[in-house]
Formats: sequence, C-alpha cells, structure tokens
Amino acid sequence: MKQVLIYICSIIFLLFLWEVASIAINTINSSSVLPGPYEALSQVVKNGAELQRHFLASAWRLVMAMLIALVAAVPLGLVIGHERSVDTFVSPMIYITYPIPQVALILFLFLIFGTGSATKVAIVAIVLFFQILVSARGAAKNITEEYLVSVLSAGANRWQVYRHVIFPATLPSILTSVRVGIGVGIAFLYIAETNTAQGLGLGSFIKRYMLFGRDRAFAGIMAMAFLGLVLYVGIDILERILCRWKYVKR
Amino acid sequence: MIEADDLTIDYGSSKRKLRAVEGVSFRLGQSESLAFIGPSGCGKTTLLFALSGLITPSKGSVKIGKKKVAGPRRDVALILQNAGLLPWKTVWHNANLSLVLAGDYPARNAQDILEELGLGNVKSRFPAELSEGMKRRVGIARALSISPSVLLMDEPLASLDTLTREKIQDLFLTLWKDRGFTLVLVTHDIEEAAFLGQEIIVLTEKPARIKGRVSNREVGPLDYRQSEAFDRTVKALREELER
Repeated sequence: MKQVLIYICSIIFLLFLWEVASIAINTINSSSVLPGPYEALSQVVKNGAELQRHFLASAWRLVMAMLIALVAAVPLGLVIGHERSVDTFVSPMIYITYPIPQVALILFLFLIFGTGSATKVAIVAIVLFFQILVSARGAAKNITEEYLVSVLSAGANRWQVYRHVIFPATLPSILTSVRVGIGVGIAFLYIAETNTAQGLGLGSFIKRYMLFGRDRAFAGIMAMAFLGLVLYVGIDILERILCRWKYVKR
Repeated sequence: MIEADDLTIDYGSSKRKLRAVEGVSFRLGQSESLAFIGPSGCGKTTLLFALSGLITPSKGSVKIGKKKVAGPRRDVALILQNAGLLPWKTVWHNANLSLVLAGDYPARNAQDILEELGLGNVKSRFPAELSEGMKRRVGIARALSISPSVLLMDEPLASLDTLTREKIQDLFLTLWKDRGFTLVLVTHDIEEAAFLGQEIIVLTEKPARIKGRVSNREVGPLDYRQSEAFDRTVKALREELER
C-alpha cells in the first residue's frame, strides 16, 4: 500500500514539473509548443479507443521481443559464463557484434523482411538479446564458488548445477538487465514504429500527430510511459515472487 | 574405511606447477575420527576436496571401503566452512538438497533430522533469516540426510562465537557416536581438533605434508574438555605445530 502511495506521489510530482515546464516554454515562445499534462490527459480520454489499439499493438511487440530475447539470451549467457571452453570461443563474437549500433540494422531489416510487426519485434529482440546475454554471462561468471562446491560435492550433474545454483543465483541480475532493457526496448520500438508508413503502434501514433495535433502526440507519449511503468511494476512483482529470498528480514 | 596413499595434489600447468599437498597417507577405520590441523592456507581444504572426490590427485590415491574415489560419492557428505547453504532455498530445501540431487526426495527421515537439530519450526525460513549457529545446523542436517558413511568437514565452525562453537562441537560428537559414521575434520583450531579427533595429523605450511601425528583415543565424553587427557593433547599439538 505504501509503495502504491509513493508511486502516485511520484507521478503527481512529475505531472507538476511537466505543467511548470509547459507554462515556461509556452510563455517564452508565445505559442502552444509544449502541451501540459491536462491537455494530454484530455486527449487520452477523447481518443481512448484509438489509443488503446495502438497501445496494445506496441505492448504486444515489446512483450514478445522481451520473451524471445530472454529465451535466447539467458541459457546462452549462463552457458558462456559457466563453461570456460564455450566462453573462450563465443566471447570474441559477442565483443565484435555487441558494439555494432543496432539502430543501423533497422533499415536493413526492413529492406530484407518488410515493415511488418515481426520485423519490429525482431529489432527490439536483438537489442534486448545482447543486453540480457552480457548480464547473464557476467552473473554466471561471478557465482560464489561455495555454492557450486556445495552441490558438486553432493554428486550434482551438470543439469542439476544449472537448475539448483546457476539459474537461481543469476536470476536477480537477469531481471535487472530486463529492467534496463525496458527503457532501451521502448526507445527502439518507437524508432521501428516511426520508420514505417501508417500502421498500428504508439510510435506511428505519436509521429502522425506530432506536427499537427501535438496534444494527441503527447497523449501517445503518456501511453508509452504508462507501458514502461506497467512492465517495470510487472518485473518488480515477478522478482518478489521468484526471488523471495532477497526480500526477507535479515 | 577411508584410506589415502601418498596423496599429492598439484595446481597449474606443467610449466608453472604449484604443489598444494604432498605425500599424505593415512588409514582410518569405520566410525573413527581424524582431524587435520595446520596453518591457514596450507592446503587443508584441497586435501579434503581430494578425499571427497572433487579434486583428482596428481599422484597417489584415496579409497573409501575397497573402492578408489574417482568423483563425489552419494555416501560421503561434505560440510563446508560457511555451511554451503544456497540463499534462495528454504531451510527445508537446503536440508534436503543432497537427497533431491540423488533422486531420493522426499526422504522419510528429513523431518526427524530437522526436529532433532532444533530446526523443526524454521524449515520455511531462508538462510538470511537464521543465526550463524542455525545455518551450521542446517548444513549438518543436509549432511545427515543421506546417512553418510563418511562425513568430511572443512573448518565447519570457523567464525562462530565460542559458546555456539562449543555447542555445535558437542552436537558433532553426539551425532558421530550415535550414528557411527567415519569423521574427517580439517581445522586450524587446536581445541577443536583435540575435542573431535581420535587421531590428529599436523600438517606443514604449503605444500601440506605430514609433520606429526597425535593419538587422542579418549575422545568421546561431552565433558572431555575438562579432562587431563584433553589438556595433554592440546599441549602436544601446540608443541607439534611450533616445532
């Protein structure tokens, strides 16, 4: 309950800062450049149905991309981090491919696979894949030796080592990397959605109204922020369930 | 029951070899106890890991019963310095971990062991919620859950306060007498070695070699700490270590 109150207070404070910024910028420019939160919220209410369709399309893409990235990156990252021979072979490939600005691949992917939803999901999934892979690998490398000895001395096989030690020990780091990835993922989803012609998605909604109908565009930006908030809270809840041991009273 | 013959353990490559243990031999019968004592970092833990099958010796061999140890065995339990508990598992799941790994879970005696060790009412707690003494007892519960024929202990009571340490030493002694497993302990604490080891092997600085042996056959009674025999053993060990 206390946590919910803190969230509400933070949001109210942010809206207040936005209102102040809006008044200041509009006064300096003598025109309505930056809509205030009231105007944007009014547009959310007015365009509820349309905004909902765009919101759901973006949310679906982002969640799919996160799931694909998790399924691909977590096992690979943990194996690279734990198995030295695999690390020696695979790490150079990661060092070469990770720094490539993924934004440069967007146009290329559109050219090859078209501008459909699957390509947008793929772009975000690629970005998140590298983030989660690097985190999972690092976390697996830093597991306390005693935990491994503890199960190995009891005769654990390789699968049991992953199941009982490596995966649970690295889960908090993996969830943190997903949290960081939400922000980056939304940014890349926005770029992918604005790079195509008319279509569903908050990116294209914002782009459509940014020049003529800025109140509506800011309603779209609010929806995107809300999408991020929902996912952050979702990951927090997931962590409290899956990593209950981190939240016990010491 | 457990026997080491000319046990030698090297680390590193053939060019940059680091010897941790050299030529350690001993023979210990069923239900007997042996303590290794030596300075910190001398290679005691490495020696214990070789006995448990976690490390393959560079030379020599370890036998348990008539079989050569070639890897971890289901009838050998190892208690680590900090109990080796997994923070993400509850007391119950930590205590049963060895059984789960062996595919024997759930065991009928797991609840009894937790009750016997005074952990019956904390089985749903996580290690972070326990005192250090309780954590060690969970480690003991895990070891006992598989009814081991050999129990190996790597400085199991390091960093505990004196009272808790003595209580758990008493518990070790009682369990050892009641259950009849063979006990091998590694420690740098002279009094702990004298209280639990029927035979005590003093090790040198790295690489760990046998420097001396002290026989301590009167081990057994809980009030052994107050006896003259205990004082004599402590004195003998001190002399051996300072030699």
